[in-house]
Amino acid sequence: MSPSVVGRPIARTDGVAKVTGAARYAADADVTGVVHAVLVTSDVARGRITAIDTAVASSGAGVLAVLTHDTLPALTLPAVTSFYLKRFVPVQDDRIRHAGQPVAIAVADTLARAQDAAARVVVRYESAPPQVVLADALGEAYVPPPGSDGPNDYTRGDVAAGMAAADVTVEATYTTPLQHHNPLEPSATVASWDGDALTVHESAQGISITQNVLAQAFGLTPGQVRVITPYVGGGFGAKGPAWPHTLLAAAAARHVGRPVKLVLSRAQTYTSHGHRAETHQVMRVGATREGRLTAIDHVVTQQVSRTEELLFNSSEPTRMLYDCANVRSTQRAVRLDLPTGSFVRSPEAATGHVLESTLDELAVTLGLDPVELRLRNWSAINQETGAPHGSNHLRECYTRGAQQFGWSRRDPRPGSMRDRDGIIGWGMATAAHTAGGRPGSGATVTVGRDGTARIECGTQEIGTGTYTVMQQVGAQTLGLAVHQVTFLLGDTRYPAAFASAASATVPSAGAAVVRAATAARDLVVAAALADAASPLHGVAADRIGAEDGFLFVTGQPWRRVAYRDVMARHGAPISATSTPVPTPLGYSTGAVFAEVHVDPAIGRVRVRRIVGVFDPGRILNRQTARSQAIGGAVWAVGFTLTEHTLVDPHLGRVVTPNLSGYLIPTNLDIPDIDVDFIDRPDPDSPALGARGFGETPMTGTTAAIANALHHATGHRFRDLPITQDKILAALS
Amino acid sequence: MREFRFERPGTVADAVRRPAPGTAFLAGGTTLVDLMKLEVMTPARVLDINRLPLRGIDQTRDGLRIGALERMRDVAAHDLVRRRYPMLAQALEASASGQLRNMASIGGNLLQRTRCGYFRDVSVPCNKRAPGSGCPAIEGENRMHAVLGASDACVATHPSDLAVALVALDATVRLRSRAGTRDVALRDFHLLPGTTPEREHDLRPGELVTDVIVPDLGWASRSVYVKIRDRQSYEFALASAAVAVRRDGDTIAEARVAVGGMGTRPWRLPAVEAALAGRPAAEASYTAAAEHATDGVRPLRHNAFKPALMRRTLVRALLELERIR
Ligand SMILES: Cc1cc2nc3c(=O)[nH]c(=O)nc-3n(C[C@H](O)[C@H](O)[C@H](O)COP(=O)(O)OP(=O)(O)OC[C@H]3O[C@@H](n4cnc5c(N)ncnc54)[C@H](O)[C@@H]3O)c2cc1C
Ligand code: SF4
Repeated sequence: MSPSVVGRPIARTDGVAKVTGAARYAADADVTGVVHAVLVTSDVARGRITAIDTAVASSGAGVLAVLTHDTLPALTLPAVTSFYLKRFVPVQDDRIRHAGQPVAIAVADTLARAQDAAARVVVRYESAPPQVVLADALGEAYVPPPGSDGPNDYTRGDVAAGMAAADVTVEATYTTPLQHHNPLEPSATVASWDGDALTVHESAQGISITQNVLAQAFGLTPGQVRVITPYVGGGFGAKGPAWPHTLLAAAAARHVGRPVKLVLSRAQTYTSHGHRAETHQVMRVGATREGRLTAIDHVVTQQVSRTEELLFNSSEPTRMLYDCANVRSTQRAVRLDLPTGSFVRSPEAATGHVLESTLDELAVTLGLDPVELRLRNWSAINQETGAPHGSNHLRECYTRGAQQFGWSRRDPRPGSMRDRDGIIGWGMATAAHTAGGRPGSGATVTVGRDGTARIECGTQEIGTGTYTVMQQVGAQTLGLAVHQVTFLLGDTRYPAAFASAASATVPSAGAAVVRAATAARDLVVAAALADAASPLHGVAADRIGAEDGFLFVTGQPWRRVAYRDVMARHGAPISATSTPVPTPLGYSTGAVFAEVHVDPAIGRVRVRRIVGVFDPGRILNRQTARSQAIGGAVWAVGFTLTEHTLVDPHLGRVVTPNLSGYLIPTNLDIPDIDVDFIDRPDPDSPALGARGFGETPMTGTTAAIANALHHATGHRFRDLPITQDKILAALS
Repeated sequence: MREFRFERPGTVADAVRRPAPGTAFLAGGTTLVDLMKLEVMTPARVLDINRLPLRGIDQTRDGLRIGALERMRDVAAHDLVRRRYPMLAQALEASASGQLRNMASIGGNLLQRTRCGYFRDVSVPCNKRAPGSGCPAIEGENRMHAVLGASDACVATHPSDLAVALVALDATVRLRSRAGTRDVALRDFHLLPGTTPEREHDLRPGELVTDVIVPDLGWASRSVYVKIRDRQSYEFALASAAVAVRRDGDTIAEARVAVGGMGTRPWRLPAVEAALAGRPAAEASYTAAAEHATDGVRPLRHNAFKPALMRRTLVRALLELERIR
């Protein structure tokens, strides 16, 4: 296969549209006659509505409707398998299950009037003190029934025996905070009805999810619902499941008989589409003197809401990553009066952080280099399933990363490395995330009479470069130049695809494109071979190669014909559609090294550099892959050092529901990030040797930073985020 | 946002002519519009003052005059400010973000409201926003709140960085109303919350800030503003210190010290200034003097770290001054 198309660092094909404002996001949809809806949300976190007065709100100029649980028509609760995770539809009854829950919808001809009407709805509550503090409720933790990622109580081997056989054991308790997605684009819905047909422009990471959820809620067939999402302004999981605001916008549109636009306010995004639940984690590891793991016992406890018990801080790394015969991994839930949690970029980051931090503790206890410790426990197979990985070059990531970072110059004694104004710490950790093992996707490839191809796939562009990379995958497979291929996504009229989540787009949609493009190419080749006038006439099909817009005889490149000519003579477009095939469970790993600088007098920490070497199989596009690694590192800096959604312990309300009070790292907080890839195809991959990658880089990076902080200060910071006051206290 | 009447007076006299209650002046709007959207501020009448001639940065007999409508960015970039009062430029540059500094005015900066999250959420009690309703911060999330000057009614921090530096420099604000012009020392301009946290400053209804006057202080050319915060940009202070020192050989002759992120108003520290005066310019003196910075602190559940951080910040600022030639 020619390397000419795939792998190249091609700049995003949608980049210009995005930076010039030409890209149309959901809220930009140009729908005639659209009116505006604004949600009224609950002030209190627990209780019931005793009265809603909409009289003043409804009487405002331009107000079309103010809908409450008394007036909104009944909606069916979609099944949890549809990825409507919330186990209730709001504005259907008087119960309040969390602060920020929608309680009414105001619809008016302009946004300002809808906002004004929403502000004038008077809601009276009978409220009870909410319980929102995880630490106060740990005694109520329980193990929920198995979820979509398997059992919450997992054991292999004999942990007690493994601990008994250990020369050393390390036990530590860690906590990670409530975190939010904070995509730049707040979720938006523009819903319009034509009889019983519903069209929705939605900022969705899974248009088929939204389609099915809407169909279930309104008693329609999926075919009656069309979801259109050409661009998503960041999602990070927020837009993966479907959430109430989408249903409510559609319900409002039906009620007023006009298309309705609903955009969440920034504040509402902190209670409307999930979060990374706060965790409390107890980790115990046992090892031999040589550093071989003999047992891992990990209990992660996290918040769930009053209405569901889905756990998203999965313990995948504990179960899967290292060679250890005796593992117990327990996932417990605590019900609190908070919104439903869900997945946030790299859901395994919170548990992975604790595994990788505890391994660092173990390395210190053993006096063993942390890289060496990991090499000694490297596993060739997936420890949870026992199945071999398609490929696994993690050991090379460690050694190459260590070399690129200069790890051999590290003095392991805490506080031993200094410069003029402070202490330097070096830390490392393993990055690991599954990348596949999800439902498949479909795609249609149509080669036109002009020899160019158009690919349709109901996947999404969430900012990761899907347009660009899928165009490359299609071009590579067909043997066309990149510019000869158009890739269309974000419409449920195209073949259905899996969500842009779980690092699954490349393995799922990519594989669908490969299958359809291969089939289309074969049809084009067949047309060429059958054509008596073609230079390829009569050659065996398996001897035909395709590259850069030409079909040729392998080994005789001068015997060739342009796609354009084949198609012109064929006289009709050639088209092929692939059907979904579930993707194999890939595992994309890497090694991350971080340098921090600590100013001991004031406790200030700065991440100075990050080096990451990753193995996501074959790299489809160096530039977009690198961007994923950078984005993951930025997320890691935030999760480790600054981000934390504060909820008032008595009121149950988010205290910092804005981008000023919620601290995402700024450019100044982000160091140089040096990214490298092993770039070797995974033979198991159905997508040209590539695996998914989006979620791998954040994992590992959090612990690399925290481990570096230990190296700098000698103190183990077990509660994230590691803010300056904690560092100062530890150093005083 | 509630409906309001919008006016654009062309002269200062017009702007102060009818001091109707419920009137708000609009300068850069970075505080006002924000809080109007949240319905924390609901003025019935908004007077856009941007056409008023409250501009200019110049040397006057009373000192450096800065027009109230000068933008934060322009003041920070001004040569006189940078050379003679570096702490002012540094305080401004450490504030907010580039976009905000392009819009935000000096007058508005001094009158910005607290960032207390409860103040900004109209669905919860807050004595400052709704007098008598209570203060959830005292038992709630109070890591960013004040340890100095707080009362049982309110523990909100004054957020301005600029005001800290200006208080250290003995700046005054020039005010204009229908009744005429008056000058108020910035130190007295911001009020302690006491039992009336809704009263934040000594500004009479309809009174306009026209200028800020910074008295001449030759030795302020050796001054610094050090700001400690949870991220490196675009965040309010956990602790900040504005310091200037006049040295007589190796001895500190005089010092100006004020801190931010600590108090319910910009906090001048005369006790620290007194403790520095006459001492050798050395770390031991700074550390000893910084002990006085936290006289009378009242920490809350989440901000107990602040006194120690403030002392360290003060010492850091004094050490940084030494580095300036
Ligand atoms: C996200 C964010 C981060 C920020 N970070 C910082 C920071 O780190 N440090 C910092 O110091 N500040 C910070 N700020 C605050 C910012 O500096 C202030 O919002 C700004 O200075 C206010 O100026 P303005 O001209 O926009 O005021 P406006 O919003 O126009 O007005 C503010 C108030 O002052 C009144 N007012 C304005 N001018 C006059 C006048 N001449 N006479 C009488 N009354 C007047 C208005 O009526 C209003 O009540 C931040 C703000 C935001 C939004
Ligand atoms: S600290 Fe002040 S501003 Fe904050 S809630 Fe209490 S009274 Fe309101």
